[in-house]
Amino acid sequence: MTQDNVNGLDGVDAGPVPSDAAGSPEAGAPADPSGHPSVAALFDRFSDAVTHHEISAGDEHVVHVLADRNVEILGWLKDDPEHRYDLLRDVTCVDHGGGEPLRVVYQLWSIPHRRALRVRCLLELDALEIDSVTPLWNTANWLEREVYDLFGVTFRGHPDLRRILMPHDYAEGHPLRKDFPLRGRFSRAEQTRRALEQDVDRFYIPAERAVGREPQEVTLAAEPSGDSETEG
Amino acid sequence: MGVELPGGGTSARTGGILGAGSPTFLTTKVDYVVNWARRSSLWPMPFGTACCAIEMMAAFATDFDLSRFGMERMSFSPRQADVLICAGRVPYKLAPVLRRIWDQMPQPKWCVSMGACASTGGVFDVYSMVQGIDTIVPVDVYVPGCPPRPEGLIYGLMMIQEKVRRETITRHYDLREEDPARVAMPRASEHEIAGLAGPFGNSTRQNQLAGGGEVATTTGSDDLDS
Repeated sequence: MTQDNVNGLDGVDAGPVPSDAAGSPEAGAPADPSGHPSVAALFDRFSDAVTHHEISAGDEHVVHVLADRNVEILGWLKDDPEHRYDLLRDVTCVDHGGGEPLRVVYQLWSIPHRRALRVRCLLELDALEIDSVTPLWNTANWLEREVYDLFGVTFRGHPDLRRILMPHDYAEGHPLRKDFPLRGRFSRAEQTRRALEQDVDRFYIPAERAVGREPQEVTLAAEPSGDSETEG
Repeated sequence: MGVELPGGGTSARTGGILGAGSPTFLTTKVDYVVNWARRSSLWPMPFGTACCAIEMMAAFATDFDLSRFGMERMSFSPRQADVLICAGRVPYKLAPVLRRIWDQMPQPKWCVSMGACASTGGVFDVYSMVQGIDTIVPVDVYVPGCPPRPEGLIYGLMMIQEKVRRETITRHYDLREEDPARVAMPRASEHEIAGLAGPFGNSTRQNQLAGGGEVATTTGSDDLDS
């Protein structure tokens, strides 16, 4: 939580920090943006949308941006030739409890520049909606479904926002939220009854079930004539 | 019971060549042959969901070699299986799959619950886990361990063989009838399943059953202070 842990191993001696000590979502001391070219550029270009910057675990740069401008900023980070964060490594969410806003986290990696950046968006508990980044990275499709399933964040413009891990008719809520009881909201008997009532055939939507039912045509590229000797 | 026994009688009392109250030469010999054949060629249906399945694979492999006990062939289709080996934790989403596989297996069939998670839910006393597969399917042998060593699984399967050896068609004839109306229904009663959700989970419930107090039956909350 402090910037003292310049070396990652220093934190081992200090021991674990209780999560309460994190305090407000922006508890981390603001760090020097010039240490990361993308962060400096973000502060230059989106000074009204970038609210906070901190360094976590020694060298992980974390940027907080306004939730309603996430697609604009992430799209710029992906497409700008100076940055090119073309790999979305993870979309996840953190709930620190206590009525604090949920944090949707985008973990970016730039293959050309070999550079990592973590972008956070804060979502108040009564307005859990954010624009989907699936148009930017197809990877986000299932990752956002997972966040929706476990945290209840609605991604606007997502092509197929369904539960992905929990049963499709799960009625107890979103399990990774801090206000979710450890053993669920229903009794074990009710959970068992509902589990056995699931229709296994409905685990998949019709479009998924149709895959493989009909012979799929595989079009091979025309073989170049006379080049077979050059292979292998 | 009104069931027509193979030997012509209607119950263990009223006779028939196979239904006589005391074992006859014929029934004992038929039992011996049938049970020998059954226990010497048990085909397991491996239902491996977690780390217990690794130990199960080790038990099937050369060092331990379940083939020595007539389990030469893994039956990956429940239609040709005799023993369901449930190795690993079972989430609620998988419960109907496990139950359907059990319903698809033909009689006679047996079930081994391998490891702590399959038997009780183990450490996963959470919203997503079945607290013991015996709430879903009937279990013959529980193999304890986390995970059990291959010797443990082999011992459990040999207990199944011993169970088969002691069966007799005169006494166990209708033991294996299944009620079609109960297909895909919870096997344990609501009271039993609810008892699994005590404030501190299964371990406390077992302590309570051993004389430590009343079994919690209806708690669905997570309030540890109450």
